[in-house]
Amino acid sequence: MIDNSPLANDPSPFPDLRQVRFARGFVTVLMSTLVLLLVCLMVAPSSVSAGALSGSLPFAAIIAIVGLGQMLVVQQGGFDLSLPGSVSLAVVIATHLPSGNDAQLLPAIGLAVVCAIVAGIANGFLVGVMRLNAIIATIGMNALLYGAVFAVSGGVPRITTPLMSAIAGGKVAGIPNSILFAVALMLLVSFVLKKTVVGRRFEAIGANPAAAHAAGLRVRLHQTMAYVYAQLLYCVAGILISGITREPTAFQGDSLLLPSVAVVVLAGTSLLGGRGYPISTVIAAFFLNQLSQFALAVGVPFSAQTIIQALALVFGIGVYSVRWRRSARTRSN
Amino acid sequence: MSGIEPMTQISRVPLTDAKAVQPILRLSDITKEFSGVTALSDVSVDIFPGEVHAILGENGAGKSTMMNIISGVFGPTRGTLSFGEDVITAMTPEKAAAFGVAISYQHPAVLDDLSVLENLRVALPDRVFAGGDPRAIAAAMLEDVGLSVPLTARADSLTVAQKHLLEIAKALALHPRILILDEPTAALDQDATDMLFTRIRRVVAGGTAVIYITHRLAELRQIAHRVTVLRDGRVEGRGMVAEVSDDALLGMIVGRSLASAFPPKCAEVAPPVNFTVTGLSTRKVRDVAFSVGRGQIIGIAGVEGNGQSDLMRALAGLEGWQGDVRLNGTALTPAEVTAQAAYMPSDRHSEGIAAELTVRENATFSAVDRFAQAGIVSRRRELAEVRQIFGSLAVKTPGLEAGILSLSGGNQQKVVMARALLSQPGFILADEPTQGVDVGARFEIYRILREVSASGVPVIVNSSDAAELEGLCDVVVVFSRGRIAETLHGAEVTEDRIVAAAVKAHTHVASASAAQAKPRDGKARLRHLIQSDNATVIPLTAVIVALALYVFSQNGNYLSAFNISNILLLATALGFIALGQTVALLMGGIDLSVGPLSGFLVVVASFFINDGQAPQTIALGFVLMFGIAAVVGTINGCLIRFANFTPIAATLAMYIGLQGMSFVLRDGPDGYFNFAVMDFIGWKLGPIPLAFVVLVVIALVAERILRRNRAGWQLRAIGSDENSARRMGIRVDRSVVLAYVAVSLFTALGAVMLMAQIGVGDPQQGVSYTLASITAVVLGGTSLRGGRGTFIGTLMGAVLLTEVLNAVSFLGLSQMYQYLFQGALILAAALAYSTARSRAQA
Repeated sequence: MIDNSPLANDPSPFPDLRQVRFARGFVTVLMSTLVLLLVCLMVAPSSVSAGALSGSLPFAAIIAIVGLGQMLVVQQGGFDLSLPGSVSLAVVIATHLPSGNDAQLLPAIGLAVVCAIVAGIANGFLVGVMRLNAIIATIGMNALLYGAVFAVSGGVPRITTPLMSAIAGGKVAGIPNSILFAVALMLLVSFVLKKTVVGRRFEAIGANPAAAHAAGLRVRLHQTMAYVYAQLLYCVAGILISGITREPTAFQGDSLLLPSVAVVVLAGTSLLGGRGYPISTVIAAFFLNQLSQFALAVGVPFSAQTIIQALALVFGIGVYSVRWRRSARTRSN
Repeated sequence: MSGIEPMTQISRVPLTDAKAVQPILRLSDITKEFSGVTALSDVSVDIFPGEVHAILGENGAGKSTMMNIISGVFGPTRGTLSFGEDVITAMTPEKAAAFGVAISYQHPAVLDDLSVLENLRVALPDRVFAGGDPRAIAAAMLEDVGLSVPLTARADSLTVAQKHLLEIAKALALHPRILILDEPTAALDQDATDMLFTRIRRVVAGGTAVIYITHRLAELRQIAHRVTVLRDGRVEGRGMVAEVSDDALLGMIVGRSLASAFPPKCAEVAPPVNFTVTGLSTRKVRDVAFSVGRGQIIGIAGVEGNGQSDLMRALAGLEGWQGDVRLNGTALTPAEVTAQAAYMPSDRHSEGIAAELTVRENATFSAVDRFAQAGIVSRRRELAEVRQIFGSLAVKTPGLEAGILSLSGGNQQKVVMARALLSQPGFILADEPTQGVDVGARFEIYRILREVSASGVPVIVNSSDAAELEGLCDVVVVFSRGRIAETLHGAEVTEDRIVAAAVKAHTHVASASAAQAKPRDGKARLRHLIQSDNATVIPLTAVIVALALYVFSQNGNYLSAFNISNILLLATALGFIALGQTVALLMGGIDLSVGPLSGFLVVVASFFINDGQAPQTIALGFVLMFGIAAVVGTINGCLIRFANFTPIAATLAMYIGLQGMSFVLRDGPDGYFNFAVMDFIGWKLGPIPLAFVVLVVIALVAERILRRNRAGWQLRAIGSDENSARRMGIRVDRSVVLAYVAVSLFTALGAVMLMAQIGVGDPQQGVSYTLASITAVVLGGTSLRGGRGTFIGTLMGAVLLTEVLNAVSFLGLSQMYQYLFQGALILAAALAYSTARSRAQA
């Protein structure tokens, strides 16, 4: 009856590659993206030209970064509607305070980060400690953040500093810097989630808060921190926008809320909470962006593009809800 | 065997003695399998009218399965039920109800968010209340079971005992021919139990057949005529209660099982004590004391729900407790207890494993800090430790990176044990460690627990399987009603002694007046008002009036007829959409698509309702608006109920899609609306727009339906507790889809108002109403958890929100304040309501 499992005799510290199963979300998103690129090459080569890509990729990078933030919150079973306010606040702080003066840029960024941390802690406190519904708490916080946006800017746009524009809009080895930022943040989030104590516990709590609680983990603290991490990522996105766009408006964050949720869902994270997939989320941002580019190139009017996004979203959720049903069946057995 | 048929002689011929009475219900050779696991096999039972038939057996013997088959919750795999002459193979809850079966569940199907009266009305058919004042009839039902609580009291203010009585009252009110009572006295005190027995004797005298499920032999003697004993899904014996001795019954409940495979017990008679608990009390447990010697395993026994799992959770630090806990002689603070404990939960799926994580991640998430340096996990150390512990626990897994669900139940449980051991705990709490575990793995788990205990780590095992405790434990503490009924040592630890101590205990719930409510007086009535869903109306009115007066004092034009009608017109559009949102939130959902839907409907209308169009065309425009809304609502509802979308995901996709459709139809503002139509919509009675009056009337009607109508109760029942709603026979899927259609139709009414406001088909308008509607509903006091809400509150929330936004400009404040007020208002309201609610519950 009792035998030693073969595992005990296997000294290799590396996982057996044959056992690595890629997450279904990763496979789905990657395959969809490859198919889309192939279709683009055949049908609308202009949408994958170097010029088109370098024009559109910075926006994909922004969606990727806010998507990562939204992912961390959704992973904990939350939902962050304060994203528009916090992105817009970072934008106006980074443009209005320096007012074109490079020397003032660093303090402005510092202030933006402080604001993000404060907003994150407030969100986390309301949701994690006061147990308010995440939607209500973040709607309220969004309004407060927009109040701050108007306090800083009065609602009028201002031109960005040359330095910020060089940092965010520049290129290294032909690659837009914003892409590098997005990739670096993706690697950072992946590393923290997979390789650190904090991240591993964060994932476990998202996957099953009740089990984590029973095992003695500090569930509320980690859930609170999710909102802080998210705000920091939104803040980075906002600062980058202030560099990419010459004269960013005070409502720059509004258009990012829906894509941020869409990429999280497309990447396979359940809106009920669970595991987050940072790499898939970033690929999904690229996919969503490329889908728009493709639609534009083949002459679909700009107006119809959101319909395509909605269909992609329904398709994505459909794929995962089938999986969910199957695992639910296994569970009941 | 005095008067009882041993199982081996059971034949398929009629089971009764030559009695003239025909059975009212006959179960013939019923077998029920759940995906390969047999819960009942070849069970035949006859139920006679005018008798109490007790069903006896341990946890997992198949009693609940049998009840669920009789009440039609699921059909038998094989076998038939006969009601008198009717032979039935496929049973449904509707058929069972038609044959006069009523059931009182062990866990009452009582909806916390509804009042006592509403609980009765939603669960019982209308005919019960026909021919009289429903309140009087309901009051008589409560009187009947000796439950004295106000009909308007919310069910969450009831004690557990009161909920049980309410559940029993619902079953009795149907005047059933067959009444099933599943552990009805578990939470009742002596007086309530006596009253219930009197009541049962009365219905039996009237010819009703009562099926009485219990664990307690003492009760059996008091109330039952006939008894059937189940064990492991089989009929172990049956007979007349008067002719069977307690010992014979005990023998049938317990049976014999192989004890050979258990590891040897602790050899020392009095080993040094390393873990003691004295005077420990929690909410459900009183004054518990026991001690564990080095190398001993302590078992916790008792009939399920008598405080055993509460003790385990308290020692794991998951529940508050008072008392003294000592590990190796040192007293532990609650924080230290939490840190030292390693708890293996009984419900593996909900609390033990994280289904999305791999085997390795499941094993290490609590101990992961031990493998880390400066917060970064060393993969090498982690893998080495996991391999070592998996080796010693003999975990069989396809690989460390395999999904946890690919393992068998036994191996999943070993992973949970591995997690407990890796965290190097001070003591181990194993709650039902072998539930859902196959036989082979079961004995390995026993061996591991023995080894852990021998290594000096105290082990406490809670199990509902007395045979398991006999084989595994050195000391067994038997619980009854939250107290220790008996502590068994050494040779006393036998299955018979454990079961006897648990089922023979006579203790009843201590609180003498558990079923009595506080006296009714003015204060209680005020409390009920504060707890009611509409309580928010008073503070909202105060805030609305106070704000209006303040702004008026600053700017005399604020209360001009023009501005009042302006505010009310704006509030009407928001109000209609917010009424829709209230419906979604009441059933525990949400509809994010209302904003874009209202905008889209306006754009659609802008093609038909123009100057110079024929009246028919204009009428067609309105028909299209409501038709499209109904379609959108149906799609939302179907995605949520039939395609497994979460409400957020489904309505978010709809949000994006509708926004796109608006832009497809119009890429900029165009299509001016017909002036006559707009004039009509904006028609005023003095400063009050007619449309606002319509909104108020609709809100009042909706509120009345919500409180007084079956549709309203059903909606709130679903939001309150979907499973209980389903058990009551509510068609949840249909109701939810219809509710989403209602949400969209309310939104269409809002779109009509929006049309008059904007005056042109603008694809950019409307979107903001999603967030505004949620804000208005929250201000009104509807809970996002579902089940509780108010249309009147929502209406006032919409007025207040509009008033605040309007006031900002009258006070000469910048746009910043518009946002700040809005944010502060929603957060203040949410915080105030949530604290008020938690206070009310405390």
